[in-house]
Amino acid sequence: MIEYRDIHKAFDTPVLSGIDLRVETGECVSIVGPSGTGKSVLLKTTNGLLRPDRGDVLIDGESVYHSSRRTVERIRRKIGYVFQYAALFDSMTVWENLCQGLPDHEPGRPPTREELRLICEALEAVNLDPQRIINELPGELSGGMRKRVGLARAIVGRPEILLYDEPVTGLDPVNAAVVSLLITDIRERLHVTSVIVTHDIEGALLISDRVALLEHGKLRFVGTPDAFRASQDPVVRAFADRSAASAVALAMMEEQ
Amino acid sequence: MVANVAGKGIRGLLRAAARAGVGAGRHAGGMAMLAGRIASVTLRGHVSVREVLRQIYFTGVESIPLVGVTSALCGLVTSQQGGYQFTGQVPLYVLGSVVASSVVLELGPVMTAFVLVGRVGARTTAELGTMKVTEQIDALYSLGRDPVSVLAAPRLIAGMISTPLLVGLANLVGLFAGLVASQHTLGLGPESFLYGARLYWHDWDLLYSLVKGLAFGVAIPLISCHMGFQTRGGAAGVGEATTSSVVLMIMAVLTLDALFPPLFLN
Repeated sequence: MIEYRDIHKAFDTPVLSGIDLRVETGECVSIVGPSGTGKSVLLKTTNGLLRPDRGDVLIDGESVYHSSRRTVERIRRKIGYVFQYAALFDSMTVWENLCQGLPDHEPGRPPTREELRLICEALEAVNLDPQRIINELPGELSGGMRKRVGLARAIVGRPEILLYDEPVTGLDPVNAAVVSLLITDIRERLHVTSVIVTHDIEGALLISDRVALLEHGKLRFVGTPDAFRASQDPVVRAFADRSAASAVALAMMEEQ
Repeated sequence: MVANVAGKGIRGLLRAAARAGVGAGRHAGGMAMLAGRIASVTLRGHVSVREVLRQIYFTGVESIPLVGVTSALCGLVTSQQGGYQFTGQVPLYVLGSVVASSVVLELGPVMTAFVLVGRVGARTTAELGTMKVTEQIDALYSLGRDPVSVLAAPRLIAGMISTPLLVGLANLVGLFAGLVASQHTLGLGPESFLYGARLYWHDWDLLYSLVKGLAFGVAIPLISCHMGFQTRGGAAGVGEATTSSVVLMIMAVLTLDALFPPLFLN
């Protein structure tokens, strides 16, 4: 279970202003909202990549910010993170990248037979052929494949929680659909708790148990996809109904 | 009017100086913290020996040709210029002493440090900076790995081991080049050159040279890693961080070099 408690974060201007959100074990929650409203910032506070100015994040009841270093390291190992542009280590091959996701692997050491089995399993789980790509460098892969290798790296250590930062951004519709299906598949197979930050509202409504709409650093809506679709809130409507008129209306509302 | 403009100019200068001071203080604090964290992870045994060996190969072994050429040229030039000044003025065997002292006390360590600033330091900042702006450092954190232990500590340990060894090599090559050059251009035999070299030689000089190398071997990786970790803002940010890092490393090498004689030679 993830619990965001009164999260505040400002850079030059306030980005998050008192976010309270609870994600139950095994649940899939998508965070949507206009660009620059702090969705990725909120996600990065989950495992300590960005420290909030105020507030705390609890993972299964343990604080990410007020626990011992050892506890925080243990919490981090529970969490897999899929980055927007995959963030693969570009000087390492695919297998070396995945080795970094194995907690007991010493950098530079070739993988053991067991580690290799886990790596192959993770690659197969994201529909990649280990034989074909295991020795490739990230630069030799397509955008969709890099995203899937990033996902494989996040799951190879068998996390309990998966955080996705814009998992389908920059992908063509076919690859975006493939990644959305993979998220559902991995969630069912590994029984992970998932938090997804995305602009892909249709995908989010299809794969999530709940959707949270972040606007101006505050949560404007939290509820099921059905409730999201039925909401009369004009900002939620603008997101639910992706017509050009809604987009213009939303842009105008944002300007006001 | 003129007083007003002058006042504004002075205030602007003071503000710029204050900003530079704050920036320098922030970097110094950041580097001190990084050094503390490197010491902590090293003492707890959280540094991969393989990675240290890999960095020693890159920092030390792969730098040998460039350090060799640079120090040979330094020995050669010192010998030539010394010969030009001494001919007809002082006994030529004194040249051996001049070349030995110049190379061992100054040129060997400093030129090796400059080679490492360009070859290793700049690359380290660019590499870590690129990793920072492409979220690869965040990825390490998220995978439960400490970037200080994975990236910075092996580089610092490798620098501390490789640099004194490279300085020792630079001293040898520089002396040998000086000896050969003085024989071919001034007709000074190796015996006379070595006699001169031994005449004013102190055993402490070699240790001084290697300790200087050790100090540079700490400063260069520490600054380059710190600047890499501080990088922000895409490709332009990486370029800016690398430039600042090279400037800082050169300043650090020259400042340490200036501090060594009053601390250890007097």
